[in-house]
Amino acid sequence: MPRPKILVVDDDPDLVRALRLRLRANNYEVTTASDGYTAIAQAQKERPALIILDLGLPVGDGFVVLDRLQTSDTLSGVPVIVLSARDPQTNEERALKAGAAAFFQKPADNEELMNVIRVSLGPDATALPAHTAAWPS
Amino acid sequence: MDRQTTNVLLIEDNPGDADLVRLRLVEGTSPVSVNCVSRLSDGLASLTRETPSVVLLDLNLPDSRGAETFRRVMEHAPNVPVVVLSGQDDEVLAMKALHQGVQDYLVKGDISSKHLERAIRYAVERQGLARALEIAQKQQIDFKNQFLSHVSHELRTPLTCIHQYVSLMLDGLAGPLAPEQTDHLKTIFKSVNQLHAMIRDLLEATRAESGKMRIEPRCVALGELVQQAVAMLRPTADEKKIGLEIGIDQRLPLVHADPDRVLEVLINLIDNAIKFTPAEGSVMVQASMVDADPGFVYLSVSDTGRGIGPEAKALIFERLYQDPDSVDNNRSGLGLGLFICREIVRLHEGRIWVSSELGQGSTFTFTLPVYSLAKLLAPVVSYDGRLRPAFVLVKIELSPLSNPPRGNWKETWQQCAEIVRHCVYLDKDLVLPPMGASGTTETLFVLASTDLQRAGIMSTRIREQLERVENLKTKCGVSITTRPVEFRQENPPGTLEQQVQSVADCVTTMILASRERKQLSVIKGD
Repeated sequence: MPRPKILVVDDDPDLVRALRLRLRANNYEVTTASDGYTAIAQAQKERPALIILDLGLPVGDGFVVLDRLQTSDTLSGVPVIVLSARDPQTNEERALKAGAAAFFQKPADNEELMNVIRVSLGPDATALPAHTAAWPS
Repeated sequence: MDRQTTNVLLIEDNPGDADLVRLRLVEGTSPVSVNCVSRLSDGLASLTRETPSVVLLDLNLPDSRGAETFRRVMEHAPNVPVVVLSGQDDEVLAMKALHQGVQDYLVKGDISSKHLERAIRYAVERQGLARALEIAQKQQIDFKNQFLSHVSHELRTPLTCIHQYVSLMLDGLAGPLAPEQTDHLKTIFKSVNQLHAMIRDLLEATRAESGKMRIEPRCVALGELVQQAVAMLRPTADEKKIGLEIGIDQRLPLVHADPDRVLEVLINLIDNAIKFTPAEGSVMVQASMVDADPGFVYLSVSDTGRGIGPEAKALIFERLYQDPDSVDNNRSGLGLGLFICREIVRLHEGRIWVSSELGQGSTFTFTLPVYSLAKLLAPVVSYDGRLRPAFVLVKIELSPLSNPPRGNWKETWQQCAEIVRHCVYLDKDLVLPPMGASGTTETLFVLASTDLQRAGIMSTRIREQLERVENLKTKCGVSITTRPVEFRQENPPGTLEQQVQSVADCVTTMILASRERKQLSVIKGD
């Protein structure tokens, strides 16, 4: 069964690399985009199963991307998880109303993030359980 | 010199005095236009219509006397310079006026036209300076707050990077690690968490100061929150062999508070108590009522630590105050914890204070407003001055089907709450405001003024309406139960107010009991 494809949209290359490593270890396929415009184009082409989206992007910020996704016939059903450094008090509600499935503030708890990804992909997702060693933080 | 016309509003009831002032003003070198009224009310009305350059104010008018007069003018037009013209040379009153912002105090008999003209000119000038200073101060504070918000946002990016890569290594995603490497990485991660807490506190303290902190008060059972806070901190207390105890009054009423915030305050206080108490000491968390203050619940955290001296006590709730002798393993090394607590408590209209002596431990106490269920119930449970005959408590539990919930859970359950509201008879049923912490399962209670059978019909209607919601079945499970409210009927019955209180008390007990059962079943692993 093919692995679910996740599109990671963030202009921080270090974060993208770390996320890609972790997502791959959890048996997801990963593609990336570093600005809003490319993100939409790539999403249209690849039809990811889920999108992880930063808000502070060049060339069309996260909210613009959310809007475009919502209004797209083909992409409006794709769950979007917002992962942003911005303050949830002023951004979470707006993001959720704009169609995001969840809002995480950076740095996010990896276990929680993986859980939400798994749940958002639905019971038919084929990801293996999250690969995290248990150690107290 | 500026030849613009000075518009003077003269509030003076004595026609002779008014004429004299007018004469003095006209004699001056710069153009003046005078609008004279004889009552304070007319003066205030004129101020509403147009803004004069200056107000010349007699204090003793037909509709106002003394200090009250200038107080009302200042209140009505805070940016217009006011010069008091008084018949008496009253130095005490003059000082009082000055302290309240009046620009000058002149005695009527003494003024010459030159004197009056100069007094007006300087009053206008001084007012301008005061206003500019006020604006500059506000701008400085705004800038500082924006700067701090920006800084705390920017710091997150490198922090996230460190967090991610250390996690990757610790989770074994970058190859096997020697035990020593794991150890070092864990040490780094501890600092990462500390930094994270400091950045969070910085943002929150800044928010508090710019008045942007928001609380979402709900109907809360404090017992649960105290248990939660204690459970979270027990490992830390155990490490230091410190005893952590709870003492909660039997019949503690529900409070009107934001559960997440209250938890934050409790955690902060208990964490501090543990930090400042030596090994083998003890910390006690209590929640109780005080007879002299029935509208509030009192929560306190006491420790057997080294106590706080008088200088520290005065400053301890201020920002950035840190005990110079403290051993630092601070959750928030920034010393903002108590400042944030004070803001949270203040927003709840409660109070927070500390009582402590050096060498004798400390007790931090804060208050939260009681949730007056009786007040909410009154219009619904009585009719025609009499208590309705029967009541049923309907409990509607909405549990998300996945953990964490799929989609916007808050929007989902709020939608359900709205539907429930539409299913009840507003004049005899009450949908209680949501209870507890917004986490996962949301519980809505409806007090229906009816018998068990009709309550059953209402439950069915509610269920039908909820099931009509698109996709609700994929998001949450709905459980509806009903229970008759067996409130104690005194014989002879007390006043209507007492009876309503009796119903409210019974409902509160039922609600608390139902949550206790839920907690127990969670513990049992149901």
